[in-house]
Amino acid sequence: MIESSRSAQESALDAEHDPLAVETELPSSLMTINLGPSHPAMHGTVRLTVTLDGETIVNAIPEIGYLHRGFAKSSENSTWHQVLPYTDRLNYVSPILNNVGYILAVEKLCGVKDPPRSQFLRVAAGEISRICDHLTCVAAIGLELGAFTVFLYAVEARELLWDRIAELTGARVTTSWTRIGGIANDSPPGWDDKVRECLPRVMELTEEVDKLLTRNRIFVDRTRGIGILSQEDALDWGFTGPCLRATGVNYDVRKAHPYLVYDQMDFEVPLGTRGDTFDRYLVRIEEIRQSHRIVLQALDKMPPGPVIIDDWRYALPPKKDVYSSIEGVMAHFKIIMEGIKVPKGEAYAYSEGANGELGFHVVSNGQGKPYRVHVRAPGFSILSALPALIKGHMLADLIPIFDSINMIGGEVEQ
Amino acid sequence: MSDLFPVLGATQAIVPLGTPQTPPLAINKPVKVEVDGIPVEADSRDNLIEAARRVGVAIPYFCYHPRLSIAGQCRMCLVETSASGGRLVPGCQVRVAEGLKIITTSPAVKENQRGCMEFHLINHPVDCAICDQSGECKLQDYYMEYDHEASRIRTSKLNKPKRVELGPLVVYDGERCIMCTRCVRFMDEVAQEPQLAVVNRGDHSLISTFPGMELDSKYSGNTVDICPVGALLNRDFRFTSRVWYLNKSPAICTGCSNGCNIYVESRGNVAYRELPRRNEEVNQVWMCDEGRLTHHAVNDARLEWARSGRGEGGLIEGPQEAVKKAAALLRPLVGYPGLAVFVSAQCTTEEAAGAFLLGKEMGAHRAFIGALPDGGSDEFLIRADKNPNRKGVHLAAKAFGYQLEPATTLETDMSVKALFAMRIDSLPVSVLERLEVAVVLAQNDGPVAQAAHVALPCASAYEQDGTFVNYYGRLQRMYRSVVADRGDAVPGWVWARRILNAMGFAHELRDAAQAFALLADRAGELSGITFQSIPDEGQILPGMLPPEWPARAPRPPASAPPANNPPSPASAGKEAAGGSR
Repeated sequence: MIESSRSAQESALDAEHDPLAVETELPSSLMTINLGPSHPAMHGTVRLTVTLDGETIVNAIPEIGYLHRGFAKSSENSTWHQVLPYTDRLNYVSPILNNVGYILAVEKLCGVKDPPRSQFLRVAAGEISRICDHLTCVAAIGLELGAFTVFLYAVEARELLWDRIAELTGARVTTSWTRIGGIANDSPPGWDDKVRECLPRVMELTEEVDKLLTRNRIFVDRTRGIGILSQEDALDWGFTGPCLRATGVNYDVRKAHPYLVYDQMDFEVPLGTRGDTFDRYLVRIEEIRQSHRIVLQALDKMPPGPVIIDDWRYALPPKKDVYSSIEGVMAHFKIIMEGIKVPKGEAYAYSEGANGELGFHVVSNGQGKPYRVHVRAPGFSILSALPALIKGHMLADLIPIFDSINMIGGEVEQ
Repeated sequence: MSDLFPVLGATQAIVPLGTPQTPPLAINKPVKVEVDGIPVEADSRDNLIEAARRVGVAIPYFCYHPRLSIAGQCRMCLVETSASGGRLVPGCQVRVAEGLKIITTSPAVKENQRGCMEFHLINHPVDCAICDQSGECKLQDYYMEYDHEASRIRTSKLNKPKRVELGPLVVYDGERCIMCTRCVRFMDEVAQEPQLAVVNRGDHSLISTFPGMELDSKYSGNTVDICPVGALLNRDFRFTSRVWYLNKSPAICTGCSNGCNIYVESRGNVAYRELPRRNEEVNQVWMCDEGRLTHHAVNDARLEWARSGRGEGGLIEGPQEAVKKAAALLRPLVGYPGLAVFVSAQCTTEEAAGAFLLGKEMGAHRAFIGALPDGGSDEFLIRADKNPNRKGVHLAAKAFGYQLEPATTLETDMSVKALFAMRIDSLPVSVLERLEVAVVLAQNDGPVAQAAHVALPCASAYEQDGTFVNYYGRLQRMYRSVVADRGDAVPGWVWARRILNAMGFAHELRDAAQAFALLADRAGELSGITFQSIPDEGQILPGMLPPEWPARAPRPPASAPPANNPPSPASAGKEAAGGSR
């Protein structure tokens, strides 16, 4: 690209020397434009410094940090449970997956396992979150390619699910729902039925979106063969999740290293073949269907019972005990005021987030606050590869490519 | 993963810089033992708790205190040993022996600890939310560490007297008491005023004074410190702050010339309480009740803003204007024979140095010392001289070549017409009223400060860096313990520097270290000492040790203890100072 632009410049100079020449190329030079940080298509607040040769992208350098909150450092000054609200704000489209991912790491360090009902609930709510995340991504691609109907359909479906999340956790996105050794509260009565009732409509809308986009000539032309990354490159860049599976690599943490009760779930891992924008879209649509299957299975298999362990070192005592017994009030006081004393050591736990492998590396010095929390955000390595994905394409392709990698400012910029 | 990470507590008080670290206990006669498989070189006089502590193994206890006799009341410290034949033995009472193996992790030990906690909590009220001890309570700590299970008791809890005012400083809650008897033993053995006793039997036991008597010992506050639970509470502190909001910072008590090492606990610019800080040669781990009230002078009736003009006509125009006015008043007096300097024995050594420097530069010939009047004293920690730094002020005066005259001279000697006063203790209003020029630094407002032509607010000793010299010549560091300042208040030597500079004398005096260096250059006793080189536990200045010692007063090892005072046991003092643990 740079070569051709030089020659264009040279020919422009030639043209100046020959005032009679009529068939000369327009004088051109590389142009740099800023896309974002406050551009409607820059989800969150990322900035892309795009170098253009005409309409062709020569380079695009993402600059992150506009949404940096200091997640890791803030965590060191909060008790282990006070970190949970910060995890909501990592990938804020699927917060429950972050809650679960973080708590799995802490539980690994504590050596505790949540009760079966909590595990099934975590899986069900997590997969609902994943559907929300994928719907959002698909909605955005559609919206930014002019398919506003797709956006409205997908968001309607997402709203239905976020209502279920709100019933379960008390909040649509700031869920802070998990606890060490379980979850904050059991599902409200009749919640399972509500989920079963709303899921068909969600799937109906998803199929509608599928019909509107997958065989849509405009959509296919704009996405197929655009933003290709080979399997090797994807692995080299540290891709995980739908973006990796779109290239055909069969890696899904839920299958490769099952956690919670994913080993009891029957689901497929959809794979792409070309690793382009279209495949990334297709993988997400198919994953919505698979997640739907998992949610139904989890609801069916969910046993009754407690949703949090009965160990007052880690779990808050029931309110009855806090108000009426000295043992309860002491445990409550110590957990709230000083935090749970997580044993000395370090642990890395990883789960399948909506965008790929979501890893938490936690270090404890035995006190009530984390010594260190590091989050391996899947979106970070994927965003790093954006220049590689984008080079050589037209400026208009930037938006669908950027959409399809589903960069979420919260988790990338932490 | 054992000690990879520095331990910073969640709400545990972080020990501030400059805090004396507990020195390793001296070993007179080494004995080799094993604690949970870890070989330990212990002293032959160690009990099992102290031996285990040497390698960081914590054996829990309520009633044991290294400085008190052994009671064996709480049964929390039971451990197994290779000599106990499978039985549990109290770690506080059993001494180490060559080759002894101590086991603190066996199921029997763990089960005993859990059972102990369950029993201790049977009659304990659900009081954490309203209890001052919350956050520094051994019951809370040990419950989470050794029990963390629900109670199995289904009977109702026993009701006992809940707010017995045992004495002027101490209130007792019978329901919270676990009958460790630390307070009773403290009064018997350390305070040596047996005012407390256990009355009634079994679960009806109570701590009580004798009929018609009250807990009026000057050391009663220490029973609150060593109470492991919230049964004994400080009436002065009660319900004023939750302990986890307080900043704990080292300081020296300003109550008398003993110079007890203390922590001042504050929040913002309010000091809430004083707690003893360990110093074997000054106060061990104790302090007196009077010292526990020294924060009131820091909090109440402060002179906050620099003021010029006498009485009602006083103007508050900011520190710069006040300094200008003070300089305008003082500049014409350079070399004037009627000018004198007044320094209170409540000043830090640095403040005294600042005052004498100003006096010297202005050519003042006379200097006076003020002081709080003498009060009661005893043979332990309370000295009659209620001024923390009389020795230091005298040292500073000598360094600048001043012969200090008593403040009472001012009342009769009319030749003094102008005065620069560094703090106003014992300075009579009548003297100030007749003076032609009075520039006064005061911590607290009142008639004296109002009679000054310029009154400048002085930071309290707890609010500044500096040094004190105690009654036997121990130079000790003060720290800026109360963080926030009040109004214009700054240390006295800052005002001295500002006035000197405003009058055209170039002196830097950036910080307390420079003010101290001013003195160290001039005083032979301080030669070679810098502000930074003063050890945390203080250092003894030469030639000041008294010929006679109060009988039971802690002292440096060089001065031989009297015959009736047995040397403190080697195990003494590992107890963290100033707390219940």
